[in-house]
Amino acid sequence: MAQDTLEQLLIDRQRHIAAGATTPLPTQYPVNQLAAALHPETQYLKITKVVTHDATARSFYLAPDPTKGTQHLAYFQAGQYLSVRITIDGSVVTRPYAIRSAPQSALNDEYILTIKRVPQGFVTPYIFNHWRVGTTVTASAPMGTLTINPLRDQSHIVAIAGGSGITPFYAMASAILDGTEDADLTILYGSRDHHHILLGDELNAISTQTDRVHLVNVLSDEDYPGYETGFITADVIRRHLPAGPVSVFICGPDALYQFAQKELTAFNLPAGRIRHELSGNYGDPRQAPDYPDSPANASVQTFRLTVSVRGQTQTIPARADESVLTAMERAGIHAPSACRSGECGVCRARVVSGQLFVPNQDDHRRLADKTYGYVHTCLAFPLSDCELDVPVHALANQFG
Amino acid sequence: MKTDYDVIVIGAGNGGLAAAVTAAKLNHKVLLVERHNLPGGAATSFTRGRFEFEPSLHELAGYGPQDNPGNIRQFFDWAGIDVQFHAVPDAYRMINTGKDKLDIRMPTGIQNFMTTLIQAVPGSQASVQAFFKIAIENAQVFAQLSAHPEALDPATLATQHPLFAKYGHQPYQRVLQALDMPAKAQEILLAYWCYIGIPSDEFEFAYFASMLVSYVTYSAYIPQNRSHEISSALVQALQANGGTAWFNTEVTQLLTAEGAVVGVQIGDRKLYAHEVIADLLPDTVYSHLLPAEMVPTTELKKANARELGTSGFLVYLGLNRSATELGIHDYSTFIARDWDTRHQFAGMHQLHGNDFMIMNCLNVANPTCSPAGTSILYATQLFFGDSWDQVRPQDYPHLKTQLARDVITRYEQATGVHIQDSIEEIEVATPVTFARYLRAPEGDIYGYYGQPWDQMVARSLTAAQEDEPLPHLHFCGGAGHMLDGYSSAYASGQFAARQASHNLQKEVL
Ligand SMILES: Cc1cc2nc3c(=O)[nH]c(=O)nc-3n(C[C@H](O)[C@H](O)[C@H](O)COP(=O)(O)OP(=O)(O)OC[C@H]3O[C@@H](n4cnc5c(N)ncnc54)[C@H](O)[C@@H]3O)c2cc1C
Ligand code: FES
Repeated sequence: MAQDTLEQLLIDRQRHIAAGATTPLPTQYPVNQLAAALHPETQYLKITKVVTHDATARSFYLAPDPTKGTQHLAYFQAGQYLSVRITIDGSVVTRPYAIRSAPQSALNDEYILTIKRVPQGFVTPYIFNHWRVGTTVTASAPMGTLTINPLRDQSHIVAIAGGSGITPFYAMASAILDGTEDADLTILYGSRDHHHILLGDELNAISTQTDRVHLVNVLSDEDYPGYETGFITADVIRRHLPAGPVSVFICGPDALYQFAQKELTAFNLPAGRIRHELSGNYGDPRQAPDYPDSPANASVQTFRLTVSVRGQTQTIPARADESVLTAMERAGIHAPSACRSGECGVCRARVVSGQLFVPNQDDHRRLADKTYGYVHTCLAFPLSDCELDVPVHALANQFG
Repeated sequence: MKTDYDVIVIGAGNGGLAAAVTAAKLNHKVLLVERHNLPGGAATSFTRGRFEFEPSLHELAGYGPQDNPGNIRQFFDWAGIDVQFHAVPDAYRMINTGKDKLDIRMPTGIQNFMTTLIQAVPGSQASVQAFFKIAIENAQVFAQLSAHPEALDPATLATQHPLFAKYGHQPYQRVLQALDMPAKAQEILLAYWCYIGIPSDEFEFAYFASMLVSYVTYSAYIPQNRSHEISSALVQALQANGGTAWFNTEVTQLLTAEGAVVGVQIGDRKLYAHEVIADLLPDTVYSHLLPAEMVPTTELKKANARELGTSGFLVYLGLNRSATELGIHDYSTFIARDWDTRHQFAGMHQLHGNDFMIMNCLNVANPTCSPAGTSILYATQLFFGDSWDQVRPQDYPHLKTQLARDVITRYEQATGVHIQDSIEEIEVATPVTFARYLRAPEGDIYGYYGQPWDQMVARSLTAAQEDEPLPHLHFCGGAGHMLDGYSSAYASGQFAARQASHNLQKEVL
């Protein structure tokens, strides 16, 4: 009896399978299409307009480049960035740039990046020399977590920005103005003097159109009527702190973050109320408090770094004061990366042998990665000769 | 023909990892290819601030204590996986917030569990005892089917395991009713249906009962450092046994010759292997990796006759207070407005009004999973991907927040625990997230839905026969003979690797 039941079940199975349709299987699914629209692997873009703010800052307007396969730009949340991928003299490098325009603009197929030229930089001088109307640009999907979350963040955000760190907050201000974000925003914005306020006029224009965005300029090198003078200290913060609970977002160079964080201790904010994003590469690892002792004034050592990418191996030089990601980029290896500040994990690679330094304060690796010998190459500095097993950079470029 | 590898495994999800490690341990030359930059598929982790979140694993089944190891612990020991696991202290807390109000905590250990149940539902003793008698025998067969589906057939089952043969394929709820179990006791025994996502009037008794017995007797387990730790250990085991793993690498096509699978296409390179194991839904392979004319008609019909499984919606919370401070004492809390699983199932097809959820607090089972004074909570809901079909990119961020707020509020109302003020980090995963990271159609996380003819019993008894739809091609993963789940995927990976290994040995002879 029971055996019959089981045998019957197997017959049923055959019957159901035999009754199946022979129509072709779907190749597209709406949820997967939405995933691809929100998180394309690569966005191929084209510059449609360049605005020069001053000698050191420009805005680049980007549209999709359908000839390369990008029909529309991915939507994003104010505060997110693109990782732009550029080849310079045989080095394939990435740099993160916050999308400065409002998310609404992505629906009209436009992103704006505002980029400050870093005098001794490797990439920004190249951008300033080469990016023109018509130049094509390859970028990631929008990424990053410096975004407003109403369930986590207080309804009033205090933003502390320096230099190009203003760009994510510009996008937030725009998104508040057009109603995409429901929050109040007070921006404490550090600049050198009133001639050098990146996007200053544009920000003013926004804050006059909505009373939900307040702009406080803090000038380090100048006394100017109506502006704060000096650094963004606890006193400055206190003077402009709104009534009620706030979340503080910080974006700018590491020095700004270190300073602001110290000043903010006075306010005893609960954990999670201070959020930050580094804008740019991690600095010199030897400044990190946990860097292993080395003789004072010792010259920077160069180690041998053996990199194997899918079974193909080469040995390259790697300086102790540069990340192994940079070493690979210098050598022309297509190593994966995006945020370049240790956070996103895109650059994860396996250490086969050797010692690397990872600054504890910015170490965002998964716990198991620490025990199983993985590093984020953008935040790993050689302390000896090393051997790494690195995945290829991008799916689009497989063996390309 | 020249080959580069004995076995190429496509996809490093739980199934693919188990397949690759098993094949390598059996001395075959293995290449594991994964398109993401991490191993594990669903079995991974992500960090936000000072928290590292578990994306998927609620409870690992089939692991068991050291002195009574289950299939999975035995496999890990064999593979040399050295990961610290914690037993989940209780089975579950179940809350019904609707008119049939219920709030009960069920312990582990069969005796404790039965005692609690019988106390909570007067008059249930006889039926509960009868239930566990059948359930325990079913669980034994279940473990055998899981590990060696090829070794059993209807005739053997009927003679050696009459209770399995009689009840195994019957719907769970029908068996409970046949035992005259009081409605409330039936309800309390329904909590785990969501782990496989088949309503109880259609869910095979053998599977449901075995799952219950397994969690209650052996406890569920979770790893110290999220499931990324297990996946990393499996990759290490693969490498230690001479295997290779390539990440950020997508297989775009299966290579065939004379109707058989002979390798894979990666970028502009062709790699040849004796055997190929795909940790992908057959649908994906047939629609994306093989030209239509290569797909056998029966396989096309089978794929069309099957239904996609469910996807999920999860809210991950890093809280700046400890579980004790917040008054949280339960690892798993199952919450719904009513415990009619058909009704809960119907809710999975709509964006709003899906009122069934699970809340897990990792710290209850793994106290040091987050820094002192903090805790990790995550809420899970099941949604069929199609409920998200109409969502537009610009609606997506807001929708996530809205649904997450709903889930958090419902948890607070059901338990009286207040968490909204303590949220330090939050992340939300939706069917779109799973579509992005796992690539499965409609963000499916449960393989194929278990229609009665496509559940564990039928799949297991035909696993060997339906293996190799094309010569040298094997499947594994959440769509395998044990349906979805970590242990199921591990089991299916081992099975696929043994089938492949068997072929390789034949070739040598
Ligand atoms: C939210 C959630 C909660 C869950 N809770 C539990 C639980 O508590 N207990 C439990 O036991 N189970 C649970 N599960 C189920 C369990 O995670 C899955 O059933 C199991 O992991 C499935 O494994 P898989 O092998 O099918 O792989 P998947 O996880 O689907 O991985 C497939 C892999 O293949 C890769 N891939 C896809 N296409 C290609 C290609 N062309 N080339 C190369 N690589 C490719 C993908 O990137 C992915 O890594 C849960 C799942 C989720 C998502
Ligand atoms: S590039 Fe983001 S962690 Fe290294």
